[in-house]
Amino acid sequence: MRIRSLVLFALLLAFWLIISAEADLQHILVGTLVAFISVWFWQDLGSRLPSMASVPNLIRLGHCLVLLIGYIFQANIAVAKTLLFSKPPAKPIFMVLEPNLTSNWGRVLLANCITITPGTVTVDVDPETGRFIVHALNEKTGLDLLYWRLIDKIKKLEIKLERGEEHAVVTDGTDDPGSNRVAAGHYRSDSH
Amino acid sequence: MNWIVYICFFGSFLAFGLGTLGLFRFPDSYTRMHAVGMGDTLGVGLLALGLFLLCPSWTLRIKLMVILFLFWILNPTMTHLIAKAGLIHGVRPAKVTKLRKG
Repeated sequence: MRIRSLVLFALLLAFWLIISAEADLQHILVGTLVAFISVWFWQDLGSRLPSMASVPNLIRLGHCLVLLIGYIFQANIAVAKTLLFSKPPAKPIFMVLEPNLTSNWGRVLLANCITITPGTVTVDVDPETGRFIVHALNEKTGLDLLYWRLIDKIKKLEIKLERGEEHAVVTDGTDDPGSNRVAAGHYRSDSH
Repeated sequence: MNWIVYICFFGSFLAFGLGTLGLFRFPDSYTRMHAVGMGDTLGVGLLALGLFLLCPSWTLRIKLMVILFLFWILNPTMTHLIAKAGLIHGVRPAKVTKLRKG
């Protein structure tokens, strides 16, 4: 926990120095003070953060982000085509996605990846079941999400990190690509 | 080099322009968020790439990349919050919206 706080402190200080682009005494003192107060104030958050990732896992995470940039580019082209050439311009769907992720950080990462890719928005995540309510611009975009390569990448990363923590991993077919099922009847119909 | 910068800026302009067009063409708040997402991802990304190539120093380039990284973390979080607030407070989706079952 103490190492994690130190790393967070160093990251915040580095961020401050990069953004201020000055390294004189005044900036270093202010940065140190604010970074220390931030780490102290948010110390409860520490238990929710993932364990310290090893270098291979950071490389895997970097690979996920590179893949994501490619997907963002493709999704932008798909949304532009829908916008310009489809009649009607959108046939949206709400769907429930079960990615079978168990950790908070894995769910947050996937939810952000889904939302940052134009054409799909994560509307809600159930913290107990791990089900995602996703809004997609059209049915094809939504169905493509079920077999999204990034979901399996995040699952594998999650399993590797959990093994690193020496916790028992209880997964239900999480290594099986395309196991992301659509659950029926869990959408809050009162909003319709 | 300047040609690459011009292409990046033009691509960014197109992404923002199409996003704005989507605000008018798409039928409800949820679908409009997808359109605006084009400007927020590709638009901002290409703008940052163009500025990255124009920057006179590496300090500014690193600063630009940090800002882009933060933007790409904060933007989907805010989009998610708006969509969730809309669903909770009863903002109705367009009539063509389907529910995917089974």
